[in-house]
Amino acid sequence: MATKGSGLQAKVSRMLSKDFGKPILKPNKPLALRNEVANRKLRQGEASCLTEMSVMMACWKQSEFNHAACAQEVQAFQRCTALAQAERKARMGQESSGQGGRLHPKQANTLLKRHPNLYREI
Amino acid sequence: MAACIAKFLRPWSPGVLPARWTRYNPYYLEPEPSKEVYRIPVTELTDEQKAAQELKAVRPIKAAPPGLTSSVFSDPTVSKFVNMMMEDGDKVLARSIITQTFESMKRKQVEKYHKAPATEKEGIECNPYTIFHQALENCKPIIGLISIQKGGKYYQVPTPLTDSRRRFLAMKWLITECQDNKHRRTHMYEKLSQELLAAFMNEGNVIKRKHDMHKMAEANRAFAHYRWW
Repeated sequence: MATKGSGLQAKVSRMLSKDFGKPILKPNKPLALRNEVANRKLRQGEASCLTEMSVMMACWKQSEFNHAACAQEVQAFQRCTALAQAERKARMGQESSGQGGRLHPKQANTLLKRHPNLYREI
Repeated sequence: MAACIAKFLRPWSPGVLPARWTRYNPYYLEPEPSKEVYRIPVTELTDEQKAAQELKAVRPIKAAPPGLTSSVFSDPTVSKFVNMMMEDGDKVLARSIITQTFESMKRKQVEKYHKAPATEKEGIECNPYTIFHQALENCKPIIGLISIQKGGKYYQVPTPLTDSRRRFLAMKWLITECQDNKHRRTHMYEKLSQELLAAFMNEGNVIKRKHDMHKMAEANRAFAHYRWW
């Protein structure tokens, strides 16, 4: 393990040095892992209850916005929205606890802050 | 002389101290105003209710707000409407306007009842509270519009609304309609009673505003996919 690490260090320092003509690497940031992880965005969801909405709007157009005639579609739409909201709440609660076997970026950042990599002499 | 000067050097504290904060620790429980909950005998409590009672013995409870009563006449919807109409904290004035509104609605409906022939008498609703609730229900929009930015432009996207948002919009529309679009020499209770009775019959400007919102949503249904929730 130590030999592997030292070999890599030697190669990197050779690529950075100006002894053998122009240096191959010209890094603008330190070549070390940072003590934080990027906050990954949630995967983009789609709009919920679109079919119900379109059915309700078609009914409205037919009956000239007579709400009494479209009671069934309206109730279906409202049921769908209630379900979608409950689902969203459940998903939010579940996501904050564990992201499918992996750590949430916020949790990873907290841990790294407590046990940081030291690459500067203090 | 020294005593007078010392009076000004004392640390100042306000004459009236607020008892209820707006930001409580989530540990605090909500107060339970209804008497029926406490009248249930111990043997008939469900497991959830028993757990709730045990929790009350150990957890602190928030101070009850002044609008919360255990009386049979208290209505949370009416209280919310009074709060929305209140200006500069004058709850007494707002509440008196609402009481006058209900009184004038009742008077109009009873007059109509007595003038109507016997066949139509059952169809006339005289209870101002049912009229208020039904009118509010008729004013609530089913679908709302949200401004979403996509590609540098803002689009009005149709979206479902939560119940609290719908109730808020209905009440807000009623109040602003009565404040802005009526003759300036009429009292607020008069304007409100006219608007509520019209909404009960599915007529009037607030119902029209609700329909306009629905028509806009229907016109913009192509943008419904811009939503991501």
